[in-house]
Amino acid sequence: MNLTIDELKNKRLIWQANQVSGAQNTLPSGFEALDAHLQGGLPERGVVDISTAIGIGELRLLLPSFVLRQQSSEKLLVFIAPPVRLNGPMLLQLGFDLTRILIIEPKNAKDALWSAEQCLKSGCCEGVFLWHQSVEIHQAKRLQFAAETGGALSIIIRQKTHEHFSLPVSLTMDLAAAPEGIDVTITKRKGGSHSEPFVVNMVKAWPALTRRLPIRKNIPLATIHSLTD
Amino acid sequence: MHSLWLYLHFPNLQLDSYALEERAITSPLVILDSTNSIVQLNQAARDLGINIQMTLGTAAALHHDLQVVPFNPKIEEQRLSLIAQNLYLIVSDISFFSPQGLLLKVHNMLGLYGDLNTLWGMIRKQLTSHHVHFSYASGHSPLAAKLLAVRGWNKVTCEHEEIRRALKHINLVFTDLTSKEIGKLNSVGIKTVEELFSVPFGDLAKRFDTQVITYLGQLRGDFKHPVDFFHPKEHFQQYIELLYEIERSDVLIKPIQHLLTSLENFLLQRDELTQQLHLTLYQRDMPPLNVKIGSQQGEYRARTWSALLTLRFESLVLNAPIVALQLTTGKTFVRSPDKQDLFLGRQGAVSRLQLVSLLSAKLGENVLFSPGTMNDYRPECASKYTPPLEVNESAALYHSSLRPSLLLPVPIILSEVVSIMQGPERISTGWWDHHSVVRDYFIAMSQNGQWFWIFRTPEKQWFLHGIFS
Repeated sequence: MNLTIDELKNKRLIWQANQVSGAQNTLPSGFEALDAHLQGGLPERGVVDISTAIGIGELRLLLPSFVLRQQSSEKLLVFIAPPVRLNGPMLLQLGFDLTRILIIEPKNAKDALWSAEQCLKSGCCEGVFLWHQSVEIHQAKRLQFAAETGGALSIIIRQKTHEHFSLPVSLTMDLAAAPEGIDVTITKRKGGSHSEPFVVNMVKAWPALTRRLPIRKNIPLATIHSLTD
Repeated sequence: MHSLWLYLHFPNLQLDSYALEERAITSPLVILDSTNSIVQLNQAARDLGINIQMTLGTAAALHHDLQVVPFNPKIEEQRLSLIAQNLYLIVSDISFFSPQGLLLKVHNMLGLYGDLNTLWGMIRKQLTSHHVHFSYASGHSPLAAKLLAVRGWNKVTCEHEEIRRALKHINLVFTDLTSKEIGKLNSVGIKTVEELFSVPFGDLAKRFDTQVITYLGQLRGDFKHPVDFFHPKEHFQQYIELLYEIERSDVLIKPIQHLLTSLENFLLQRDELTQQLHLTLYQRDMPPLNVKIGSQQGEYRARTWSALLTLRFESLVLNAPIVALQLTTGKTFVRSPDKQDLFLGRQGAVSRLQLVSLLSAKLGENVLFSPGTMNDYRPECASKYTPPLEVNESAALYHSSLRPSLLLPVPIILSEVVSIMQGPERISTGWWDHHSVVRDYFIAMSQNGQWFWIFRTPEKQWFLHGIFS
């Protein structure tokens, strides 16, 4: 067998189809198209590596799953080093219980990784969002191990760069902007295969944040609320 | 029931408080009073032939490398009060009878413990945990117990006859009488307590002043001896002076460990928890350094506190060597049992509040938040960060318009080419509190497909305020 492949296998950077014993537990993401491609939904625990631009709907894609998780458990949801302040009213609108959300703004990237690991392995967090540009392979492995210990799901959000490599984690996805929602490419999945890019349609969930280009509906006449209400 | 008192005499309190440090045991160490004579010394010094009351000159002649520490009554006082606090859990009436001794009223406790030996067993066990040298004695009066304990009788009995017999042979030198009074008594042939007891009261009263009579009466138990009893403090406070200065924070953990252990005992015995510790590090030639460490959930275990402190010390810079330490607790409260759900399945190793304490110990202040909402139309006021996991009722929102998930704390000038997708939503409010806002908000999309929340001011300036992430 090829030496390089052996090496990669030892480092657990590649899997063989026969190594994987059954699919991992998943929880619904809230979007049918995504659930179908992931054969069930986002992993119940582990690390998901997302590479995306900011503001194309990445949180809108991922947060509904955590709303569902928060409703079924008493655990915390943690946001570490968000690029911009999170907006409380929006989280409330989505259906989150704000008293079970923790936001950490660490002073440096090292502290961010440390806090992510602590939160993941604590067993009292169900999800950890980590915005981090340069997670290395050994760090990703530690996070994956911590997440499996504590039964949590960690989402690492990274900006797309040229020297982008995928991390040895449960699921790796590439997100891109699409008019009617968001364009998802599953680049790597533990116990599954990669996918061709597909579009998650958000027209129903976020009518104001999608473009319904092709079909021109009959636009109703403007209603004056003060009169009709 | 006749009265019975127990006296505990601690001759080496200051020396014993140094015993936490290993070097204080192995190398000869003496404690000097203000007249330069030795008042306390350790075994290593005793082995060299040094004795109590020896002057520093003589002692130094016997050994060239002698560790000398001045006598500090403050240390002894604090140590004694700590012992009293712990004994209070066994005996209700404790008095600081002298700087080196504690007086315990025993006879009213016998009903609770059954007999004297059981009670003494409990007291003894408590004292052993303090690692101090002590001698003890019971007595029919406070002064009798004290006299016997100072002489090292080391016996606990409720037989008054036996106590009187033991008292008889004690020389008057060891009593609390002044040397002048003892001289006077000696000159009439009274040298021991027995001889003093044999003289009728009336005869003594003619020759000697009231002080001698009072002492004698109180020693015999004929006169009432008023005693002030101690009331325990509600807070834990302990101070230790380091024999050797410490310059590195990782070494500092070791003496702190002892403080934490006695804190653990203090809280455990009261079944209490504390949320905050104040550690004061006294630096040489510098103002003391205050370290606050919190545990949201409340904690008593030394192990947990020391883990939090170790994290805190990682970021602590010592400017000068540390000469002394003091540990105090903030508010303490009674522990309520942990409520754990049997049916929740896998329980985490730490609770949410423990996690928050752990994170804030390492990351420092102003790093942890929970999102909050305020009832305000101005977006930057409607969203605010609150202290972590504080249960405050989220204010109901007036409106249910679409809001971005990421909000810039301060809007920035829009520098990108965008196309407006929806809007406007006019927000014109805040004229009453010097932060008036007149803005037309739009949802816009950039050429890369990013969704922004932008607004236009009446001056036709465009700003970016949020991102629909």
